[in-house]
Amino acid sequence: MAFNKDSVAGTFLFTIVLCLVCSFMITGTAGVLKERKLAKQRNELMQNVLLAANIPSDNSNFKTLFSARVTPMLVTLADGQTVPQEDLLDYDERMAAINPEHSSKIAKDTARIKTRANQIRIFRVHDAQGQLQSWVLPIYGKGLWSIIYGFIGLQPDLNTIEGVVFYEHGETPGIGDFINHEDWRQKWHGKQLFDADGKVALKIIKGGAKPGDVNGIDGVSGATRTGAGVQNMISFWFGDEGFAPLLTKLKAMETTK
Amino acid sequence: MSATLTTRQLLWQPVFANNPVAMQVLGVCSALAVSNSMQTALVMTLAVTFVVVCSNLFISLIRHLIPNSVRIIAQMTIIASLVIVVDMVLQDLAPELSKQLSVFVGLIITNCIVMGRAEAFAMKEPPHLAVLDALGNSAGYGFILLSVAFVRELLSAGTLFGKQLLQTVADGGWYLPNEMFKLPPSAFFLIGVIIWLINIARNRQR
Repeated sequence: MAFNKDSVAGTFLFTIVLCLVCSFMITGTAGVLKERKLAKQRNELMQNVLLAANIPSDNSNFKTLFSARVTPMLVTLADGQTVPQEDLLDYDERMAAINPEHSSKIAKDTARIKTRANQIRIFRVHDAQGQLQSWVLPIYGKGLWSIIYGFIGLQPDLNTIEGVVFYEHGETPGIGDFINHEDWRQKWHGKQLFDADGKVALKIIKGGAKPGDVNGIDGVSGATRTGAGVQNMISFWFGDEGFAPLLTKLKAMETTK
Repeated sequence: MSATLTTRQLLWQPVFANNPVAMQVLGVCSALAVSNSMQTALVMTLAVTFVVVCSNLFISLIRHLIPNSVRIIAQMTIIASLVIVVDMVLQDLAPELSKQLSVFVGLIITNCIVMGRAEAFAMKEPPHLAVLDALGNSAGYGFILLSVAFVRELLSAGTLFGKQLLQTVADGGWYLPNEMFKLPPSAFFLIGVIIWLINIARNRQR
């Protein structure tokens, strides 16, 4: 039987074969590149954590610095317990946050993220002797257009900010993207998250923080809602549904050591 | 007409006389968007070259098997798959550049040059001619892109491939960068000038 390409059967056969071949081509490429992509993500993660911990690194030494100074841990948000887990560098927080089995709905959703993972990955940063230097915690929340992802580094008092990094966002180029500019990130260093009553007091202040204001960070004009998004995510993550139980636990852990 | 086209003509005609961007005014969207620096223009040219060459080759190879009723969809499927592959490879090899090119790599799918060559040439001609035709057309595309990028990068930043050639005022030199050339509309004027020059040259030949 001769193949009639313009018959209905011929058209279907051609289309199916073509689609199969094309999808093999794409999945093949994706498969080949997958390992390299994972490695790249790991490297980015290490560099971002070091940035948040305010440890200067460059392309040549970040891996050794990270393995010598940083210990990743998986913790339960509700009680601050550590959960044993292998391969923490490849732990996929975003999948955990949307997987109904590993996440919970947020009652007071100031960060506008709907659900959050029950367990999160945090980083203990120490000096070469193992002495605690800072904690790096993941934070994320909605800005104007997009979810902003970042890390915040806290000094051992769990109040003073060591550093901050917002490594992924889709805010307006040239306006809202100040959040990951070096000079703006530097403004966070030494600021305090909580006021004397233990309430989250960190604020992004329109028109600039007054000198000596330990809780205020300069806002950027034209990017009010990006700034508000950052502030809301801080109040959410350091509130009762976020890190509050974990911070209590971490404090107790380090004093007993 | 195809029988009279020599290799030389196939390769050279699309570069000047029948340039896809300047003469057929195809693929202008990406030519405006990514021609602000030599580097992005070069990478974009390479990406487009790869896609046009492969799509022309594949489509020409199976041109007798493609049912007439779904031929456009079949071409699109092949082109789209190739573009996805290019995008993935680019993200792996040059993540920074890939961020700068952002959606425009993905938009190669809608670049009329690719589709135009597939439908107008590869569907009718044998593979070796189709590849030559693809090479010629991407050379024409790259020629426009790189000439526009040359002027734009030089005038807007005083650099070429990121190397400082004109010392800018901000760096204590003499050159005041022309901000207009950073923006896509400037490419409109430049492409217009190129079309004018090509037309003058063609008229003189007559």
